Amino acid sequence: MSERQHSLGHIEVSPTAIASLANEAVLTCYGVVGTAAKDLATGIANVLSQDSKRGIEVHIEDGQITIDVYVIIEYGTRIAAVARSVMNVVKFSVERALGIPVAEVNVHVEGLRISDTD
Amino acid sequence: MDKKGSTAVQRSPRLSTDGQGFKRLVKAALAWLQRHQTAINVLNVYPVPDGDTGTNMVLTMQSAWAEIKDSPERNVGQVAHQMAHGALMGARGNSGVILSQVWRGFARSLDEKETYHAQDLAAACREATVTAYKGVVRPVEGTILTVARAVADAATRAAEETEDLVHVLEHMVFAAHEAVALTPSLLPVLKEAGVVDAGGQGLFVILEGMLRYMRGEPVAENVQLVEAVDLMSTGLEPGEVGYGYDVQFLIAGQELEMDTIRQRIMEMGECPLVVGDSTMVKVHVHVPDPGIPISYGASLGSLRDVVVEDMQAQYQDFIVERELPPSPSPQPSQEIGVVAVVLGDGLARVFKSLGVGAIVYGGQTMNPSTQDLLEAIENLPAERVILLPNNSNVIMAAEQARALSNKPVAVIPSLSTPQGIAALLAINYQADFEANVATMTSAMEEIETGEITTATRSAKINGMEIANGQIIGLHNGELKASGTTIEEVVQTLLEEMNSAQCEIITLYYGDPVSESDANALADLLQRNWPDQEIEVIAGGQPHYHYILSVE
Repeated sequence: MSERQHSLGHIEVSPTAIASLANEAVLTCYGVVGTAAKDLATGIANVLSQDSKRGIEVHIEDGQITIDVYVIIEYGTRIAAVARSVMNVVKFSVERALGIPVAEVNVHVEGLRISDTD
Repeated sequence: MDKKGSTAVQRSPRLSTDGQGFKRLVKAALAWLQRHQTAINVLNVYPVPDGDTGTNMVLTMQSAWAEIKDSPERNVGQVAHQMAHGALMGARGNSGVILSQVWRGFARSLDEKETYHAQDLAAACREATVTAYKGVVRPVEGTILTVARAVADAATRAAEETEDLVHVLEHMVFAAHEAVALTPSLLPVLKEAGVVDAGGQGLFVILEGMLRYMRGEPVAENVQLVEAVDLMSTGLEPGEVGYGYDVQFLIAGQELEMDTIRQRIMEMGECPLVVGDSTMVKVHVHVPDPGIPISYGASLGSLRDVVVEDMQAQYQDFIVERELPPSPSPQPSQEIGVVAVVLGDGLARVFKSLGVGAIVYGGQTMNPSTQDLLEAIENLPAERVILLPNNSNVIMAAEQARALSNKPVAVIPSLSTPQGIAALLAINYQADFEANVATMTSAMEEIETGEITTATRSAKINGMEIANGQIIGLHNGELKASGTTIEEVVQTLLEEMNSAQCEIITLYYGDPVSESDANALADLLQRNWPDQEIEVIAGGQPHYHYILSVE
């Protein structure tokens, strides 16, 4: 039984590791053109920055995982649909990798990138 | 596109399309997409396997169509802009958002054009692709994006050679089909699941719908044809060889001879239906081996819309739906209640006979939702509830139901039916909750599970080449044995499971197997495993010939 939990000890996954997983998932998410630091005072939104996890916050309380994602979305997409898809993709990818449920994924749209005007 | 289209035999080249013409193409695309909606949903495994890609694409295209359907506008650029706006407003899901961006780029390229010609169409496809790719930081190849790019390349090449829009669209559709077929080689998750990309397939279907309209072929459901097929595939009567497979496909080719094809198909199986013309033939037949008609079809032309359905499984679903057991009579409120997720009706009876309070149907391909599990937990007249998911795919939903329930719930992470049964056998209603959870979990861990089923598609897994229709054996969910007969695979699998070291081998025989077959197999096994006790139980599970437990 390969994926069985044995009483050998316990496995701990840090919030940083979870943030990396979430970040990878977010960046492949259609409509998202970047993540942004939560606090805009720390600098310009790091659009196109691909390895920073500044746009992801992970909280674990009482074993419940909550992920906050701060994103920049492409102007001209349906933002509600993109945000919903970010929630689904992040939840699915993190749960698949960790095998434990994610309680909440909150998507914060920090800005829009206008690459074309119609 | 004009009024004489329906009777024209010799087609004159179509050089331009105006706003009203484009409108009719969109309508055809939507109708064709709706027709394939379910098939596309089934393919959906990426990015999240929630089976809604077809539905989302249809809803997005419906919104696009609603925006233009009453428009008298003749300017194609205007119509495209309106339609793109509709797609944007109604975009649903990941695939819908991408599709809306495709149309947005397409419309921007056409801009104010009165009509579009071959070169304009190619340019619009290129712009559609560029716009679609802009919408994501890391474009994932093997998705609708890849297909859009292949379509744009094909349109560009075709527009160099011809001005006929039908030819250009033919090249686009062909390229889309090729690109969809390649998606599993680009995206590993598709390859693992043995499917092509759902969104890519959706884009192909949209373009194919447009092409069919331009060629004057039907796109809306051909009522007569569909009814005929439905009548035959639901009027299931067991034949000599069981139910076999319902096979349907289209052959596209040149100078197809309907009569010859019909004759050959009739010889192959039951309920044959062959309709069409010299370039496109629809075939439907019930056969024990789906490979035979498909190979024959492929020898005549290119195959489209191949559908193979296991009628045995359909029949099981049909029976289960009709003959659901009466809902369990309310039990007196008790300390501990058990909710189990089971695969099919026979196993439900087995679990009930072991004292399970509530059954939730689910399994390999139909996972119960968190909501289903939660309702079962809440409705059970017990103070504390033990939940047996009996499948690795259900454990997560079970954990969520546990977190949401107001009652104390424990999830015993059983990965299979035998594990669930082993856990149940260890329950002691007199003992306290925590002690039970601990005993049940350790009882479950001592069980090795084997499953025997038929491969539903050809694949290469764990270094083994599996052909469609072969018998395969899984040990604790991993493919470990394959062969042509059930007896052979069961024995290989039991050796793999190290059964000689164990005491009891239990065979739960499924619906594909008769009681006498199961007993014959047990006799055979007893000869080869003389020291073990062999039990035979009617499981009645669909799809799996046998579920084996070794302890």
